[in-house]
Amino acid sequence: MMRTVSADETAPTTHPWAVHAQELRVRAGRHLAVDGLDLALGTGVHGLLGPNGAGKTTLMRALATVVRPAGGRLTLLGEAVDGRADLRRVRRGLGYLPQQFGFYPRFTVREFVEYMAWLKEMPKSAVPGAVQRAIDRVGLTAKADARMKTLSGGMLRRAGIAQAIVNDPAVLLLDEPTVGLDPEQRLDFRELLRDLGVDSCVLVSTHLVEDVVVACTDVVLINEGRLVYQGTPDDLTTQGGQGDAGDSPAERGYSALLRRHRAEAGR
Amino acid sequence: MTTHPNPAVIARYADPAAELDEVTVWSVEVHLEGCAHCRALVAGSTADDTRSLLARVAAGLDDGIAAGPAPVRRPRWSAARHRWVVWHLTPWLTMTVAVLACAVLLQALAPGMPSLVSLLAPVAPLPGVAIAWSRRHDPAWELIAGTPAAGLTMLLRRTAGVLAVVVPTLALASTRTGTSLALTLLPCLAFTAATIALGAFVGVRLAALGLGAAWALAVIVPAVVTAELPAVLRAGSSPGWALLTLTLAGLAVLRADNFRRLSSHN
Amino acid sequence: MDAAGEDDLVRRTAAGDRGAFDELYRRTSPWLLARLRRRCADEDVVADVMQETYLAVWRAAGTFAGSATAGNGIGWLWTIAAHRLVDAFRRRARQNQLPAVALTETVAPAAEDEVMAARVGQELEHALLVLPPEARQVLQAMVLDGFSVRETSLLLGVPENTVKSRARRARLALREALS
Repeated sequence: MMRTVSADETAPTTHPWAVHAQELRVRAGRHLAVDGLDLALGTGVHGLLGPNGAGKTTLMRALATVVRPAGGRLTLLGEAVDGRADLRRVRRGLGYLPQQFGFYPRFTVREFVEYMAWLKEMPKSAVPGAVQRAIDRVGLTAKADARMKTLSGGMLRRAGIAQAIVNDPAVLLLDEPTVGLDPEQRLDFRELLRDLGVDSCVLVSTHLVEDVVVACTDVVLINEGRLVYQGTPDDLTTQGGQGDAGDSPAERGYSALLRRHRAEAGR
Repeated sequence: MTTHPNPAVIARYADPAAELDEVTVWSVEVHLEGCAHCRALVAGSTADDTRSLLARVAAGLDDGIAAGPAPVRRPRWSAARHRWVVWHLTPWLTMTVAVLACAVLLQALAPGMPSLVSLLAPVAPLPGVAIAWSRRHDPAWELIAGTPAAGLTMLLRRTAGVLAVVVPTLALASTRTGTSLALTLLPCLAFTAATIALGAFVGVRLAALGLGAAWALAVIVPAVVTAELPAVLRAGSSPGWALLTLTLAGLAVLRADNFRRLSSHN
Repeated sequence: MDAAGEDDLVRRTAAGDRGAFDELYRRTSPWLLARLRRRCADEDVVADVMQETYLAVWRAAGTFAGSATAGNGIGWLWTIAAHRLVDAFRRRARQNQLPAVALTETVAPAAEDEVMAARVGQELEHALLVLPPEARQVLQAMVLDGFSVRETSLLLGVPENTVKSRARRARLALREALS
């Protein structure tokens, strides 16, 4: 069976970054959670770190086109998503796992992932194979036909990851994906992340600095809605010294950067 | 393709060591996807090493099948059911049906009252429509809001589910109490269209609340107090309601873009 | 044309009929093996991909029976195998510490609005012969095997923009040859 290759599929890529934010401002309620953020993300796994209230979840929501930015420019896969843009095309290439992941309890895992695949407007004939592939990749093969209300926290999270990757997105946004995963499952998840980072742009928000250092090619640190630092995990470890708080070089680097940023902001 | 390739060519295709030019490979492969007869020829011309590889894979399959879950049969309508039926609406729809049933009872007990069913008809679908796409009530809201399908079409699909319950109930209630069908169903549809059209600007929940409150204050209370049917619900106003429905529906479709980012107001 | 036979086998597999599944394997595996071998020289990878593909068919048979398989011949079986093949290549690319496939420098967009639809015929065969081999390879991956640009770049080990420019060259050459 031969398929047609459309003109815009082979048109040269004009966007150097999969995710490009300039002076981005996003509100969460009344509070301006993201305040003048500049961010450029390419292919690879990017770890998003920051203290509570730094604006990580709001940033993820804005990147997932769930919340409209209050100001600044945001470009996803070459298309501007602020203002009045055609969001359908961009959303087909996105995958998102929110922090508070809600689901319909009566669905089975397979039905849930299929429903999300349908919502993402995947071609109908590709859906069954893609759903099985997503379920296999997150390790939920044994539970594929169990109802979601019977799953444990870690399995639910994995089902959430499965729906995020079912359409093979070019930009994947995962907000706290390792919550509830036991150490072995977290190892499997890191393998999956490394796989995904080969040809797509993955942004993983997490509290665990170690997860970031091991699985990510790039670290993004934000605080109070602004970008504090973006660099490789190795560079992060060089930022800290013996005097900083933390049990590992990465944690010391993280504390050092936060300390410096707060000192500058206080000035 | 109705013409089959030469069996010798197929045999060369099946043999990975045999050199075959890319163009012939292309034609053979396109043909094989559609022709079971030639696929059987490929099966027939397998060498020993191919057979052992296939046997190895078959053994692996045996282990995998024994370890893993068995396939689960699913009814053909299950996918459609998940897309159209919204379970979290059930309590609200039950409440709507219950209220209409009470209206019918009250009408039977107090025949002097103006038709309660036609007074309640416009606001009957509003709770359902307001809840159909609501951050607070839909557990998977945040997931769905970021998908390409989120927009007016999805809201309409869910509204259709609400109307599928409310409209038959209204029809039943109005035949029970002897009210004209057109006078109960048309206002109901008009108000649904109004909620969606207004929802494009202020959010569906706010629109439903506003319209419901406005109708209650401006029409229901005076009608109950004066015990007579208001002008807008008398016979002869049906063409007006029909026109209003169509206009509002058109307006909603024109502003369909506003629904892409449903989170802005909800 | 026994496509109906294979649809029936999938339906019976969905009901848990192991015999039907074995029959489906017997009928389709030699074809799938031959096709996979022409894309990957490593026999172990091919064997793994075959195993994963048929296991997926077994486990998801309930959803395959009907929508995906009806009237599609066995294109759907190739689609599953193709994706597993790309996953295997991705795993290999990562373990060999090959760099992520990055985009090269940006280029201004060209104004092209035609959609290329290819049917096998004499003219196409002649046109394909004219193409340079790298362009033909990209075309085969995208048109015949159904891979996307990202997947093709993984499979062939070249950057995405190179895949796109080769595909564009192929389309232009084909359009000239077929006109």
